Amino acid sequence: MAHRFAGIDIGSRTIELVVVNQSGQAIHTLKADTGFDPMAEAKQMIGAVVYEGIMATGYGRNLFEIAFEAPTVTEIKAHARGARAFFPEALNVLDIGGQDSKAIALSDNGKVKKFEMNDRCAAGTGKFLEIMARTLGYAIEQFGNEALLAEQETTISSMCTVFAESEVTSLIAKGQDRREIALGVHASVMRRVAAMLQRVAPEGDIVFTGGVANNACLRALLAQKLGRRILYAPQAQFAGALGAALLALEAA
Amino acid sequence: MLTIPPLMDDGFAGEPAKRVLQYMQAHKAKGDPIVGIYCGYAPIELIQAMGLVPAVLCAFSKVPIPAAETVLPANLCPLIKSSFGFIIEGTCPFYAMSQAVIAETTCDGKKKMFELIADIKPTHVMDLPQVPDQREALPNWKQMILRLQEFLEKTFDRKADENKIEASLQAANRRNALMQKIFDYAALRPSALHWSEMYDVGFLALPATGAEMAPRLEALLERLEKRVRDGLHFGRPDAPRVLVTGCPVGGDATKIFKVIEAAGGAVVAPDACTGMKAFAGTFQENSGDPIGAMAERYLKIPCACMTPNERRLTDLSIMIDRFKPDAVIDVVLQACHAYNIESHKVGRHVQEAHGLPFLKVEIDYSEGDIGQLRTRVEALFESI
Repeated sequence: MAHRFAGIDIGSRTIELVVVNQSGQAIHTLKADTGFDPMAEAKQMIGAVVYEGIMATGYGRNLFEIAFEAPTVTEIKAHARGARAFFPEALNVLDIGGQDSKAIALSDNGKVKKFEMNDRCAAGTGKFLEIMARTLGYAIEQFGNEALLAEQETTISSMCTVFAESEVTSLIAKGQDRREIALGVHASVMRRVAAMLQRVAPEGDIVFTGGVANNACLRALLAQKLGRRILYAPQAQFAGALGAALLALEAA
Repeated sequence: MLTIPPLMDDGFAGEPAKRVLQYMQAHKAKGDPIVGIYCGYAPIELIQAMGLVPAVLCAFSKVPIPAAETVLPANLCPLIKSSFGFIIEGTCPFYAMSQAVIAETTCDGKKKMFELIADIKPTHVMDLPQVPDQREALPNWKQMILRLQEFLEKTFDRKADENKIEASLQAANRRNALMQKIFDYAALRPSALHWSEMYDVGFLALPATGAEMAPRLEALLERLEKRVRDGLHFGRPDAPRVLVTGCPVGGDATKIFKVIEAAGGAVVAPDACTGMKAFAGTFQENSGDPIGAMAERYLKIPCACMTPNERRLTDLSIMIDRFKPDAVIDVVLQACHAYNIESHKVGRHVQEAHGLPFLKVEIDYSEGDIGQLRTRVEALFESI
């Protein structure tokens, strides 16, 4: 008799674990930093909850599959499923995680129709925002809100994270307003992902998932640039783990 | 990896370059001059009609790339960097054997790279027309083949009359027809031919003459027929079938085929100059103008360097009907603008005209992106 199913999303920056009950409601959510030994971290997390079946996703899924003999699913399908749990009519998904970003288009039945990933370069990912927040002296949780307070944007032209960081450093040295630079940093990420969204999923509302979805400035800039609604659930960071848990439940 | 006895059970299974090297060494020992070639546009039948042996030069290893990058920009196609690196490091045995090299103006990177190697060995560059359906293209290309003939006559002091060239075309037609019969075994569901076996056969069938190959190919066809009778096939019967199109894929770039297999798929149709494209089409026989017939067939190669390149889409449709793939993957080598841009059209065609899931991947020869490739390919299979 199976009642509870877990999904674990082993990402490059964080690991999320969600347990759902028979009706697909999340009853546990856990989050930890991935660190240097993701399997030890994952082991500790799964030890803290009770479930009858688990499915793994994220870049560490294959390690998890070997270590714990669990089925796996790509983060693309997992995020698509998680997004549909938040917004059942979702047809477009944007996920920005620690080290990649992806745009996904779904069919009416929720199946992945088309997707594109950026994982070759930190530009347009959470890591880019994290480095820039640190350079500007903001906590990552406050970065978006601070940027929203800027009256105008200082354009950041470098695409590469390393060069953008030196560009930001020189702007600080020139006495540019910190919040304006912060807004420019967000606009730079927005332009990258907006282009990807336009290619893969050019019409309709967009469900934003992954940790970066918590950034209010990026949501606002995207909505403004694309002229489309950006749908956001407070549990957006758990979309991958939730999706994997639901897929485990549905496979049982 | 294979539990089925290899198709070419000669000790070189899965190592097509070593088999070809042995073939070249045998010809070299007989005193046959060797000509290096890089690309599917090199008119092999002319070379063979003159009693010369064409050797495809090394281009698919990541090893010589750091050496190449001491001269070439890093943000360049790995195939060009590898080719150049092999030459400056002196590690390509085929180049070492070659007395001359034939090159074509296919893409900018290659054109300019050829200038850098032109003083090492006699290097003849053919000016390839790139708007193939324009009236002037075919006569111009025929002129370029005649010019190549002059170059080879002068360099090797050998001649080929029209009869010899005609015979060479006819032998190539026979060989290509047999190759198509071999590929038919990959079209079976489940497939009875592995991509690495297509490479084993194709890498030898390309430089060898039609006369040399015909009996070998017929023997292979018998083996394949027996394989089918014995009920042998590759992968799970329900494995997603993949047509791989795009840039040439060999050596270190075959990681994409391995990723497809690791994700549970089967590569049933490698369409590229390294795969089936080399044996496509037929030469018109007894036309009275064998060089013209040669020019016509070569100009029909649907390389992304051509514009417009609608033939690529037409040929893809024929291949899709024949090999019945469940998905199409377009392989773009890093910094290959022609294939990269064309991918947009290819993706639209595959999805809209055939309703098949499509994935473009940009790869180089390194191993660093295998995890990311795996995620993309698995997600593609999930969407079937």
